[in-house]
Amino acid sequence: MKKRDPRIFLFLLPSFIFLSIFTYYPIFDAVGLSFHRYGAFNPKPIFQGLKNYIDFFKDPIFWQIILNNVLFGLGTILPTMIMALIFAILINEVRSLRTFFRLSLFYPMLIPYAAAAMVWVFIYDPSLGPINLILKLLKLKPIGWLGDSRYSLIAIIIMTVWKNLGYYMLIFLAGLQNIPRDLYEAATVEGTNWSQKHWHITIPLVGPSTLFVFVVSVIQSFKVFTQIYLMTEGGPGYSSNVLIYRTYEYGFKFWQLGRASTLTTLMIMILLFLVLIVFGVWGRKITYQAA
Amino acid sequence: MKQRHIAHYIILLLVSLIIVFPLYLMFVMAFKDSKEILGSRYLLPSLSPTFDNFIRIFQAASFGIYLVNTIIVVTGILVLQLVMIIPAAYVFARFPSRISGFLFILYVIQIMLPLEALIIPNYRIMNAFGLINTRVAMILPFVGSGYCAFLLRQAFKQIPRSLEDAAVIDGCGHFGLLRNVFIPLSKPTITVFSMISVATHWNDYLWPLIITDSNIVRTLTIGLGMFVQHESGADWGMLMAATVFITLPIILLFLILQHTFLESFLTSGIKG
Repeated sequence: MKKRDPRIFLFLLPSFIFLSIFTYYPIFDAVGLSFHRYGAFNPKPIFQGLKNYIDFFKDPIFWQIILNNVLFGLGTILPTMIMALIFAILINEVRSLRTFFRLSLFYPMLIPYAAAAMVWVFIYDPSLGPINLILKLLKLKPIGWLGDSRYSLIAIIIMTVWKNLGYYMLIFLAGLQNIPRDLYEAATVEGTNWSQKHWHITIPLVGPSTLFVFVVSVIQSFKVFTQIYLMTEGGPGYSSNVLIYRTYEYGFKFWQLGRASTLTTLMIMILLFLVLIVFGVWGRKITYQAA
Repeated sequence: MKQRHIAHYIILLLVSLIIVFPLYLMFVMAFKDSKEILGSRYLLPSLSPTFDNFIRIFQAASFGIYLVNTIIVVTGILVLQLVMIIPAAYVFARFPSRISGFLFILYVIQIMLPLEALIIPNYRIMNAFGLINTRVAMILPFVGSGYCAFLLRQAFKQIPRSLEDAAVIDGCGHFGLLRNVFIPLSKPTITVFSMISVATHWNDYLWPLIITDSNIVRTLTIGLGMFVQHESGADWGMLMAATVFITLPIILLFLILQHTFLESFLTSGIKG
């Protein structure tokens, strides 16, 4: 077989056409529209320069939404990763019931967010919900959760951590399989205790790939929509509104597609910035493998 | 040593119970009538479980149609992804060059540009194609999967060249190689990817939400959301029955493939 046969690119062509139409062309479309006034009441796009951007930057709601995205991202990813690593280590060290533990941690990953949202609306229900029931038993003040602007984002975060924990646990469990056993045996002979052992062996060895998983998770955290749409609709007020939800509102509730494209463009810029970080962290390896 | 393992078990059992609780709740509530849910032991399993809620959800909404649509969309996405990406991953794995390297990076970047971020332009594209409110529109944007290309390229690269050379001597062309060598030897990766793809798109919400506006094409997740909005007053029994109904197929599928999935996941090094 000849290496330099250009016809081999025909194998790439079909998928590349899909990629171009639904991922790369849309970027240019969104950027172009973001400079226009365009929507249900302006069916013909009118160029207005940076006006959409300036309006957003002057809008305190926009900044609250950005802050919510950051809080949601860090608030879900950090606790999820820390707990997932701990549980992966624990599961890795026990003999029996492994499959049960793995399955019971992993199953939320399979439940559609729409279904999970229903159950959690019940769990957070101010009168029937089991969380408030426990608070009452402990003689604590019940919390309005989804209806209270101080707690709505936290409620969404808790539910999301529950949903993703098992997936991260599996990633760490896979990483733990690659650590040579004799490292731990040597450490045990040296008389180190459990936490020292993992602090000095497990974390440094699992760490590097964790950084990659972290950045990818930050990117994924921008996708949050379903649970917000079904549980809080971004409210009360704007307390649990995020960039994607706001884009949806501008696009399909207010029908201001120009402004929605501005938000899309800003989101693409944030995502591409994070992609640069991923390539900085991991890029050499990826390009090396690709070349 | 012994004592520590007891502590391990206590922590893990506690955590498992907390995490399983929502699933327990979903099933327990689905089999209760509204009288029982308002009673005092509403969090405990029903003494007289009823299937009424399941019958009532089918009377109240077209969950049968939603199920068929979901299966069509999810299978359509998976089949097209594999058909499109397997040849592409073959090129990335076996024909490295500047161009294929650059294209591969475009595929990897796509993993990090989720469709959810691009709903506005994609809606306009579907509108231009006249595909609004069709099942095809729910399938097409996911077909060029960078994630699939990434995973399959890794898997293909690990296949020893000697096997390939033997097949070439036997007269295999590109398609023969894919059919006889690359696909069979990458089965674990293909299984894991298929499972992830099905679970992901079973879960899709935002894109089907904006692209559909009639029951004929809606999927289960959207159906559930509509159902909640239309049923005034919280009939928790019915809601949970609907929730169980949209969740059960995917859980069953996973339980069937569970062993293959977990083993492949833990050994083939597929990590996010």
